[in-house]
Amino acid sequence: MDCLEFRRRLGADPAHRDADFIAHRDACPACAAAWARAQQFERRLADALAVPPPPRLAERMLLAQATEERLARRKYLQRGLALAASAGGAFVLGRFLGTRDDTESLRALAVAHLPGEAFALGLKQPIPVSAIEQGFINRGVRLAASPPPDVTYVHDCPVGPYRTVHLVMQRGGLPVTVIYVVGHRNRAHDRFERAGWHGTVVPLRAGTLVAMAANPELLSGAVRDWRLSLDGPAASGHLA
Amino acid sequence: MPVLPFVNTRQRQFEALVRAHSGELYRYAYWLCGQAALAEDLVQETLLRAWKGLEALREAEAARGWLYTILRREHARLYERVRPGMDELDDEQHAAEMAWADPERQGSDAELREAMLALPPKYREPLLMQVLGGYSCEEIAAELGVKANAVMVQLFRARQKLKEALSERSETTHGLP
Ligand SMILES: [Zn+2]
Repeated sequence: MDCLEFRRRLGADPAHRDADFIAHRDACPACAAAWARAQQFERRLADALAVPPPPRLAERMLLAQATEERLARRKYLQRGLALAASAGGAFVLGRFLGTRDDTESLRALAVAHLPGEAFALGLKQPIPVSAIEQGFINRGVRLAASPPPDVTYVHDCPVGPYRTVHLVMQRGGLPVTVIYVVGHRNRAHDRFERAGWHGTVVPLRAGTLVAMAANPELLSGAVRDWRLSLDGPAASGHLA
Repeated sequence: MPVLPFVNTRQRQFEALVRAHSGELYRYAYWLCGQAALAEDLVQETLLRAWKGLEALREAEAARGWLYTILRREHARLYERVRPGMDELDDEQHAAEMAWADPERQGSDAELREAMLALPPKYREPLLMQVLGGYSCEEIAAELGVKANAVMVQLFRARQKLKEALSERSETTHGLP
């Protein structure tokens, strides 16, 4: 390799490591100096290009994917419902929307809602109180007291026909999912078990809280914390 | 301890992909388009496409190159869509972006960053693939559908233009009375 060839290669590919390239560098002081300058420039270039990605980028990307999945599933569901209705099965629609049996459809919908948020169950970093409050404000609900400190996910997603705030908390290394249904107050307390999940349904303020976990022992604590946050200390004290 | 039944392998594979690569995809997207918000959109489009086509990915080692390819295509598609009459606007947006007072992005080497964004795409793209993606000249050639020699020339010119821009700047600033 001669000087011209070396400089061409160096300008295009400073990290080049072929034997004849390295041999020329080691034999030719002028090219060795050029090589050293080139390496310095590459370091400067790499530093300049290292822009920091926005905070929580991966979480936001996963949320986008989950939202997309949910939209796709809803379209599918809507097609199914339209089909049922057009086939003269309007009563099927009515049942699905929960006019006949609120508790049953709410249970089913809450559990059916989970796969799209599967990633959220793995999130470990607590999110700021302001983000949690905003999730409720987006649904027109103002928290009366601080939310629990171990919330790792919040999203104001629809669950079937219900407007909800969907939250995930991490308790002892296990996720607890809480879905607060806004403006739909279930008549009574209820417990259920479905698809590997233990759940509890609790009327709370003007809405209904559904808490779900693989370990049923985690449920009462979660309900207590959210009752405190939604009702405030005074009101929840009376209820307890 | 019960295993959560619905966290399927496809979702898990995707999540691993996102956690491993979204940062560097963002960096690549940022230097392709020069705008932070657009870069994030590009990464999102890329990952959604990747999610839908995850079956096409045979081995995990190929994931990085695959994602870079999707991102480049998304960027090209975007460019096609906004192309007419947008060239001058682009420059203004770049200038606005650079002027945006973000201490992290303004950094110590604002000159080089600015020079990078001013580099015509035909030089910038192969340089990004080499410096950020670690592609060899041959791989870049295959990816861009040009000859390896042509890539060598583009990479050479790209660095030359950056250095020229830097020395021009230092001349104008240091040459002032
Ligand atoms: Zn030489």
